[in-house]
Amino acid sequence: MASLLKQQDQDDKSKDLEPVRAGGASEPAKKAIAGKDQISPFASVKLSVFLMCLMALTILIGAGVPQESQGGQEKVFEVFGPQVAEWLVRLGISDIYHSPWFLALTATLTLNMIVVSFQRVFPKLRLLKNSLPFFRGQDILKLPIHHSLTLAKADESTALIADLSVGLTKLGYKVKAEGSKLKGEYGVVGRLAPSVTHVGLLTLLLGITITSWTGFTGFQPVLLDEKLNFKDSQHSKLWVGSLPKWQVRVDGTRRENYSSGQAKQWFSNLSVVDDQGKVLHQGEISVNNPLTYENVDIYQSSWGLAKVAVSFNGHVRQLDLRPMGEKYACFLPLDQDTVLIMSLASEGKSLRVFAKRREWQAPKLISEIQTGKSIKLGDVDVVFEKAIPVTGLQYKRDPGLPVTYLAFGIIMIGVLLAAVPHRHVWVALEGSELYLGGTSRKAKVGFERSMENLVEKLKSSFTLHEQTPIEEGEQADV
Amino acid sequence: MSDFQLYLTNTAGLSSVASFWVFVASNGTKRFQGITLKVANGVMLLGFVALTVAIITRGIEAQRFPLANLYESLLWFAWATMGGFLYLCRSYGIQQLGWLASLLAATMFLYGSWLPQSQHDISPLVPALVSYWRQIHVPPLIVSYAMFFLAGLSGLLNLWQAGRLRSLAYCVGTIIAASSAIGLGTFSKVDTVWLQLLFVLSSVVGPFLAFASLKVQDAAIEQSKSAKKAAEMYDDVGYRCVAIGFPLLTIGIITGGLWANHAWGSYWSWDPKESMALVTWLSYAAYIHLRIQRDLSAEKLSIVSVIGLLLTLLTYLGFNSLGFGGLHSYGKFK
Repeated sequence: MASLLKQQDQDDKSKDLEPVRAGGASEPAKKAIAGKDQISPFASVKLSVFLMCLMALTILIGAGVPQESQGGQEKVFEVFGPQVAEWLVRLGISDIYHSPWFLALTATLTLNMIVVSFQRVFPKLRLLKNSLPFFRGQDILKLPIHHSLTLAKADESTALIADLSVGLTKLGYKVKAEGSKLKGEYGVVGRLAPSVTHVGLLTLLLGITITSWTGFTGFQPVLLDEKLNFKDSQHSKLWVGSLPKWQVRVDGTRRENYSSGQAKQWFSNLSVVDDQGKVLHQGEISVNNPLTYENVDIYQSSWGLAKVAVSFNGHVRQLDLRPMGEKYACFLPLDQDTVLIMSLASEGKSLRVFAKRREWQAPKLISEIQTGKSIKLGDVDVVFEKAIPVTGLQYKRDPGLPVTYLAFGIIMIGVLLAAVPHRHVWVALEGSELYLGGTSRKAKVGFERSMENLVEKLKSSFTLHEQTPIEEGEQADV
Repeated sequence: MSDFQLYLTNTAGLSSVASFWVFVASNGTKRFQGITLKVANGVMLLGFVALTVAIITRGIEAQRFPLANLYESLLWFAWATMGGFLYLCRSYGIQQLGWLASLLAATMFLYGSWLPQSQHDISPLVPALVSYWRQIHVPPLIVSYAMFFLAGLSGLLNLWQAGRLRSLAYCVGTIIAASSAIGLGTFSKVDTVWLQLLFVLSSVVGPFLAFASLKVQDAAIEQSKSAKKAAEMYDDVGYRCVAIGFPLLTIGIITGGLWANHAWGSYWSWDPKESMALVTWLSYAAYIHLRIQRDLSAEKLSIVSVIGLLLTLLTYLGFNSLGFGGLHSYGKFK
C-alpha cells in the first residue's frame, strides 16, 4: 500500500488512484499510461491552461474592440479616432479573428488538445477495466478520510459487514466483498467526463473543418419581385464545395406589428426558381423560421423599406429611403435653402411630407398623403404610388452541421458527467477492529459527511466504539 | 405589472435585505447564533418562494416565458443566487456564505429597481426573441452566472479563513471597483471609455496584487485549525459551484449556437457577448484543469475564481452597460 501511494505521489499530482490502478494493472494498461519522459511536451496540461488563458485574452480583446468583419473598418475609426484606429488595423487587432496570431494560437491549442487527448485522456479509459485491490486496515488508515472502530461483540462481525455492504450499496456504491473486507466504487461514469468532452471537442473540430471546406454563407438585401443568387457568397480559401444553380425570388414581404406599432415579426414569401424561371419550391419565412431547399437554408434576417415610388406631374420616380430610427425618410433638395422631406413609418401608412428651410429650427409638416392619393405642391401634382420594401435574406449551406451538432451533444454529456464525483471506499474487519476509509476527488466535504453518517448509523446498530475520530474537536466555523 | 406581482417582488427584495442583516447579526452573538442563522435562512427561503411565484405570475401575465429583458434576467439571477445558496447551505451546512449571497441578491434587486419603468413593464417581444429557443438558451446561462458568483464569494471566504486578509482586501476592492463601473455605466452619463478603463484596470491590477500578497498571512488565523477546516470547506464549495455552473454555461453557449444557427444561419459570429461567454468558459475550463492537476493552492484557486466572477460580471452586465455593441442588445435599455 505504502509503495502504491508513493508511486501515486510520484506519478500523478492529482493524488487520485490512477497509479494504484496502474500498479495492479495489466501490462498493456501500464503501457497505456506513458511515463513522463514518453509524453510529448505538447501534451502538457500547463501548456493547455496557458494557451486557454492566451485564447481568452485574445477573444477578450476581440470582444472589446469593434471588428472589421462585423461593423466595417469605419466603425473602428469612429470609435477610436484615426490615430489609434490606424494602429489597431496595422496590428490586426481590428480583425483579430483572422489575424495570423489568432490562427496560430488556434492551431497550437488544437494540436495541444489532440496530443493531450491521445496521450493523457484516452489511455486512462483502459484503466477503468482494472479493479483496485482490497485494502488491509493499516492501508485504510493512510487514506485521506478514515475511521477506526472497535467492535465489542465478536459475534456481530458477520452482520456488521453485511450491514455495511447494504449501507454502501444504498449510497450508490458498487460493492465487492472478500471475506471480512469490502471495497466500493461510486460514480465511475464521472471518470469518463474528460474523455467524452475531448471526443466532443475533436468531433467539433471535424464538423468545423467539413463546414469550412464545403460550406458557404452570405447575405443579400432583396427587393420585392427580385431574386437572391449566390454569386457573392463567402467561403474559405480551401474550398471544394459548389454553389446552387437555382435562385430565390421574393414574391412578397411584409411586417407584422403589435398594436403599439412596434415590429412583431417579418415575413417573406419565397419561390425557388431554376434558370428558366420554373418554380421548384415555395415557402414563407420569418425570423426564427427559415426555408430549406437542397441543404441551403434561407433566413429572414432583417426587413425595411427601401424606396418610395412617388409621381411628380405624372412622372414616377423611385426615391431611396434611409432608416431614421423607427421611420424611413428621403430628402429632396429644392434649392440651396429648402429641403423636402418625405417620411414613412411603415408599409400601408401615409406618407408625411415636410419642408425644412435653413432658418427654421425644425421641419414643418406640409401634408400627409395616403397610398394612391395626391396633393398639390405649388404647380406640382404629387402622388404617393407605393412603398417598396426590402427583405434581408441570410443564406448558408453547412454540410458539417450534423457532425457539429453531434459534437455539441457529446460535449454537453461530457461536462454533465464531470459533475459526478468518483469515490472509493474500503472496509476491513480485522479481529475486533473495523477500518473504514476512502477517497473522493470531488465534493470531498459531502463524501466526508456521508462517511460520518454511515459510521453513526453503525454505532447505533452495533457495539462499536470509535478509536480515532477524524480531527477530534475540530468543527469548522462556517 | 400587476400589484400582486409587485408585492411579491418587493417581498423577495426586502427578504434578501433582511436576511443579510440577520446573517450579519448572527456573528455578533455566539449564544443565539444557531437561532439567528435559522431565522436568516428562513427569511431567505421566504424571499426565494416569493420570487419564484413572482416570476411565474409575470409569465402568466405576459403570456410568454418571463425572461426577455434586463430586469427579468436580474429577477432570475437573484432567484438562482438565493436558490443556489439554499442548496449549498443544505448540502454543506455553510452559513457565512449567507450574508454574501443575500447581499448579492439584494444588490441585484436594487439594480433592477433603479432601471427605467419600461424595463419593469411587460412589453412585447422583438422579432428575434419570438422563439422557443429563448427559454432553452437563457435560463442555463443566468443560473450558471449565479453559481460562478457564488464560487467567487466562496473564494473570498476561503481567503478570509486562510488568513490571507491582504489578498482578500484586494479582491474585494476589485469587485467593488468593477461593480461601480457597471453601476455608473448603467445609471450615469459618465463616458464609457473611462468606465471600461476602470473595469479593466481594476480587474488586472487587483488580482495581480492579490496573488502577490498571498505570502502575507494573518498570524492569529494561521494557528486556528477550525479556520483551516473552514477554508477547505469553502474551497470545496467554490469547486462545487463551478462544477454546477460550468455544464450550465456550456449548455447555454451551445443552445445559443443552435438558436443562432436556426435564426441567423450561423452558430458562431464572434458577437461581443458570445465571445465574452467563450472567454468565461475558457477561464473556468482553465480553473478546472488547474484544480484537477492541483498545480495551484486553494488560495490561488480562490483568486482565480474571483477573476472568473469578474469575467462573469463583464459577460452578464458589463458588455451592455459599458458600451460594447453586438447582437445581444436585448439587455440594453439606453
